[in-house]
Order: sequence, then C-alpha cells, then structure tokens
Amino acid sequence: MATLYDKRWLIKYLAQRQWASSYQGSHLGLLWAILSPLLMVALLTAIFSEVLGIRFREVTGDSTLNFGIYLYCGLIPFLAYSQALTQGVNVIRRNSSLVEGVVFPLEVLPLTTVITSLIQSLFGVGALMVVLAVLEQRLPHLTALLLPLVLVPQLLFTSGLAYLMAVAGTYVPDVRETLRAVVRATFFITPILWPTGRVPEDWRFLVDYNPLAYLVESYRNLILEGKLPSAEGTVYFSLFALMLFVVGFAVYSRLKHNFADLL
Amino acid sequence: MPAVSVRGVSKKYRIFPSGRARLQETLSFGRKKYGHDFWALQDIDLEVEPGTTLGVLGRNGAGKSTLLNIIAGIRQPTTGTVEVNGRLVALSGLGAGFNSEFTGRENVMLNGLILGIERQEMLERFDDIAAFADIGEFIDQPIKTYSSGMRSRLGFAVAASVGPDILILDETLAAGDAVSRESALQKMYELRDSGTTILLVSHGMGTIKDFCTEAVLLHEGRLIASGGTDEVIDHYQTLVSNIRQSKNPRQKEEEQPPDGGAIFEGKASKDPTFKEDLDFERRVADHRSGTGEARIRSVELLDERLRQVEAVAFGSTVTVRVYLEYLEAVGDSELLISLHSQVEPGQITKPQEGQFYGPNLGYVLELYERYRENPVSVDEQTREFFEDWNPPQPETNGHAPGVAGELFSASTALEGVPLKEMEKGKRMVVDFAFKVPLQKGRYKVSVGICAGDEDSYLDRIDGATTFRVARPNNRKRFRGIVHLPTQIKVHVPEGERQGWSA
Repeated sequence: MATLYDKRWLIKYLAQRQWASSYQGSHLGLLWAILSPLLMVALLTAIFSEVLGIRFREVTGDSTLNFGIYLYCGLIPFLAYSQALTQGVNVIRRNSSLVEGVVFPLEVLPLTTVITSLIQSLFGVGALMVVLAVLEQRLPHLTALLLPLVLVPQLLFTSGLAYLMAVAGTYVPDVRETLRAVVRATFFITPILWPTGRVPEDWRFLVDYNPLAYLVESYRNLILEGKLPSAEGTVYFSLFALMLFVVGFAVYSRLKHNFADLL
Repeated sequence: MPAVSVRGVSKKYRIFPSGRARLQETLSFGRKKYGHDFWALQDIDLEVEPGTTLGVLGRNGAGKSTLLNIIAGIRQPTTGTVEVNGRLVALSGLGAGFNSEFTGRENVMLNGLILGIERQEMLERFDDIAAFADIGEFIDQPIKTYSSGMRSRLGFAVAASVGPDILILDETLAAGDAVSRESALQKMYELRDSGTTILLVSHGMGTIKDFCTEAVLLHEGRLIASGGTDEVIDHYQTLVSNIRQSKNPRQKEEEQPPDGGAIFEGKASKDPTFKEDLDFERRVADHRSGTGEARIRSVELLDERLRQVEAVAFGSTVTVRVYLEYLEAVGDSELLISLHSQVEPGQITKPQEGQFYGPNLGYVLELYERYRENPVSVDEQTREFFEDWNPPQPETNGHAPGVAGELFSASTALEGVPLKEMEKGKRMVVDFAFKVPLQKGRYKVSVGICAGDEDSYLDRIDGATTFRVARPNNRKRFRGIVHLPTQIKVHVPEGERQGWSA
C-alpha cells in the first residue's frame, strides 16, 4: 500500500496519459471528454422525450422526469465498472514492455485504469447536469455534492475487481473473452433499464445483494431525486468494497512476481 | 559488501505444448502433468564487487537475459537468492519501458517516475537528458517514429542520468551508429570511473574486451567460466566456433583434454569406449587402402573439451581420436596421421599472373596429378580449370611419403609412443592432440597404420576426417598457411638510443 502512495506521481502521470491518449489524434482533443458524454445523454433524452414520448410517470416515481436522463444516470457508475473490468483484465499484457523491460511498481497499473474510468464518469456527471439544466430546466439537487462519499467506496470496489481481473486475465487469457459476456449480463441484472420498484418479490435479491444496484441507486438518489442513499446499504457496500479491495490487492501482490514469466 | 551477490540461483520454466495443456494441468491441482520443466538457469553463483564492470557472455538462449532480469528483480528465481546493494537501474533490451504511443518527452518523464525520481527533479534534469540523447525536435514525437538508435540513446540517457550504483545494460548499445555508440561509451566510462558497477550483455567482443574488467560465460543455463575478460572471451570463441554441439556436452565437460600423443590403455575411468562406426566405414570405403591386418574403425575430431566438432577456433587444441582394431597378430606398428589443406570442388580459382597460390597450392597439385592420370576423376569445373593451366614447378617435393599439400604429419613412432606387439582382436583408441594455428579454411586428416619398418600400409584412409578452422579474430589475422609462434624484440642499436626514446 505504501508503494501506491510513494508512486502517486506515477499514477497521476499514467492516468493522465491514458486519459489523454483516448482522445489523441482527434482535432478537438480533450474537448471530447465532455462532448462525448454530452452527446450520449442528449441523444438518450431526445429519444425518450421527443421520439418515444416516454415520460417517467409511466414507470415510477417522479412523473416529470425524462427516462433518458434516468437511464443515463444509472449508466455512469456501470460504465466505470465495465471499463475497469475490461481494461483491468488486459492491463498486464498491454503494458508488457513495462512488465518485462524495467523494474516497475506493478501495483499502480490496475489502479490507474480505475482512476481513469472514474474521471471519465465525473465528466459524465457534468454532462448530465448540463442536459438537466438546459433541456429539462431543472437544477441538480444539493445532495449531488455528497457524491464523493459514494466515489470513495466505488473506487475501492472497482479497483478490487480490477486487481482480481488483472491476475485472472494474465494467468488465463480466456478470461478476457468470458468477461465481455459477464459484463453484459450484469447490465441486465442491474436496475439500469428497469426501475427497482417494478421488481417482483422473488427477484428482490437482484437489487438487495447487487453492489452495482447500490451504486446505480445512489447516483440516482443523489443527483436526480435529492435523497440520501440508505445508511444500511452504504455501510454494507463500503465494507464489501473495502474487503474486495484488500483481497484483490493482496492476491495481486502475491502473484505479481510471476507476471513477467507469463507474458 | 558486494554490489550484487547471486547465490544458488536457478530458474525453471514450465513448458506446455499448448495453452490448453497449461490450463488442464493447473485445474488438475498437480494430479496430472502436461508440461515439462525447462531450466533456464542452474545453480548460478556470482559476486560482483562495487566498481566492477562485468561482461556477460553466452550464445543466444544461454540465459544471459534471464540472469540479468533476475538480478534486476523483474523476474523471480525459482530457487536461490539475489542481494543487491545500491540503486539499480536496468535497461533490458531496446527501448524497454517505453510506450511507443507516447512522445519522447513523456517517456523520459515516465521512466524517471518509474525509477522513483520526483517529478520536479525530473523536470530539472530533462534538458540534460534531451541533450545527451541528441534527438532534436523528435523529442515531442511519439517514440514509434524513432529509429532504433534514437530509442536506445534515449533509454540510455535516462538510465545514466539517474546516477545508478548498479547499471544493467542488455544489448542496449548494439543499436546506434558509431557516433552514438561512442557517446554512450563515453558516458559509460564516466559512470565506471565514478564507481558505478556495470553489468553488460553484448555480442560485441570489442566492447567487452575494452570496457569490462571481468567477464562470465553462460552456457545452457550454467556459468561455465568467469574471470578476466581475455580468458573468458577466448573460452567463448571456442564455444561459438563449435557449431555442431555434441549430444551430451555436460557429461563431456568433466573430462579433461589429454596430453599430446598419449595412449589410453587399461581401465582408468576417463577411457573412451570403443566405437564401431558403420557410417564411417561406408563413407571412407572408397578412400581406403592397405593389407587389412589392422583396421581403422573410426576417426573423430574433438575440440578442447573432447566434443566432436566440425569447426575449431584458431590456435586451439584439437584431438584426432583413432579407433583401431587388429584383425591379425601384428608386431611393432606405427600409426600416422597427416594434415592437408583442402579445397572443396569448384573452389579453386584461377590465380592472376604473378599471384601466389596460397595455402591450397599443395592440394591443387595433388588434384592436378589425379587429373593427369584420369581427367574424369575430378569435377567439371576443376577440369576446365586444369585444361589451360601450367603447374608451377615445386622446387623440391619433400621426402618419401610426403604428398603435396601436406601441412604436417605425426606418428606414434615419431612422437616416441611406440605401439608394441599386438595380438589378434586387440582394440586401441589413440589420441593425437595438437594445436592448429592455421589459416581459416578446411583441412583434412588422413590416418594410416603400418607395421614395423615396412612401407606398406596395413590400413590407410585418405581424408578420414575433416575440420574447419574458424576465422581468427582481428588481432590474429595473418597471411599464409600457418602462424608460427613468434616473439618480437625491438633492439635499439648501440649509440642510437637517444633518437629512439625521444
């Protein structure tokens, strides 16, 4: 853990580079960091208000809320999760020149991808607020300022997963293929497309025991509804995230010496 | 306290025929085996004192990079320990640790941060690094646009700028032109003189010879020689020239080269076993003559470590091993070998006027004799060559059995190791060991055995074995056939001393 702190400059630099490199080559460069989520949320909003005309009253809760915005808000933490997983599983192979060529603090690699994906989701939140204000004439709730409280356990949760995936993907390359299906499946069992209120009693566990469901709900509560996430859920999720991080990091640290040999 | 100390380090890789086999073995939790072990390094012990510049030699795949990677901490040894005292910087391979999408500037920063230097410090050093790497405006272009020389200069510049106590360089200097190599060497001398311990892998013998104070030689994962650079380089060159490796070198390594002309007799543990070699018999059938009371069963050419080879290093000791069987009882007998230079068919070229024929004249003459007896006995190209060729007249043609092109001969009687009376069925193995300070080229060895003082052979094989002498290294290039050991002394004539020493 101390190495992570010692190498904070390196993590910052790598994250910056990785983040910037995704937009490299385009003429607008970093503007795309805000433009592409903006386009996405604007598109979703337009589809669900003008084209399909589905307002949220037909589903549940706030009757005036555009379903596209509701959907996008849930997508933000999910995209961070899916990116951390799919990139984490490849992270060792992608950086083979660092792994095999120099003495490199390997701990920083998965964390860097997670941080990059979280920064991207912050831009997503920004885009969401812009659309909310401009298209729907709503100001975001003040509770959105509490979002960092969710971000910290989210960081632990996704990094824990990323560390585990990095190990798995390096040892068994097939995991990388499997993972895509897994990520797609979690999309459907998480209340992103469907509201929690509509879940039959028998399937409640999909919401109750799904850490992603907690994240999705918290983002919506804080940004769209001005409610605090349930205290119980927050405690459970935080503990689970911490545990996942500790386990993932420990496994990764134990096995990282073998990575150079496995490439 | 040594800068680097390696104790009993071995590295095992498990080799699987396929990825699936690896998975199957993992999932069976040790109950089934699908792969096999490969030892990339075995029992390496190495101590490097601070300030040493150590050259690491070995053929490709000998384990050099694995060893350096283990010392650097990039890979873990399977057994054994490595202790490193001081800040270690490793540059393994060309542009390792560089991300080819990033610009040179970004990579310099990144590498500095990887090596644990504060960002601020790195920014301060940046100009020096860029100046040394000397890549001009390319510093802000992605690394993927760089030439290999630029990559290696940049990598080296970063590594050198960190001020390492121990620097590991793996083939990094190989790229780059003379100028950049020169400036890198300059920097290395500076580092060396400031007390940096340097471990260097290079196939450039010159670099290692000039730069290193010590060297080690790795072969098939084992450290087989260490010590002064000259000594280890000689060892390496012998190894390299032995292109054809014997099947089981490890066993033979333990044997010592015998003294010249000794006969193996009795049951000492070092004795070779007798060999009947049907391939050999078939191959030499046409070149064989003699009355047949004794028979040469096989002839082998061995290098200094008694491995069967085809090529040997200039000046090294070769052993011609003759397997001999007496088919009848024979009184005193004498075993002879002779060495000829050999030209492969089609290799004779027509000399220009006034040019001398070089080491192969003898053989050309021999061929010419054969051509005159029977023109069809030589190949077409040679025949054409001889059609309008006037052989130069040799002044004398040596004595009795001497054949044109013969470089030298030796016999048991001549060397004072007589072969006494032999009963029927007696088998012998006779070794002739001699040095070959010969011009590069191909040589053939003929072997014969004759009884007592008689001139007729019991068995004789013309060209029983052949070997090649590899090109001597730069310092030992010479003209002519043989390089006789020469001592040079420069005398200053009486009365002219002043002029010389001024």
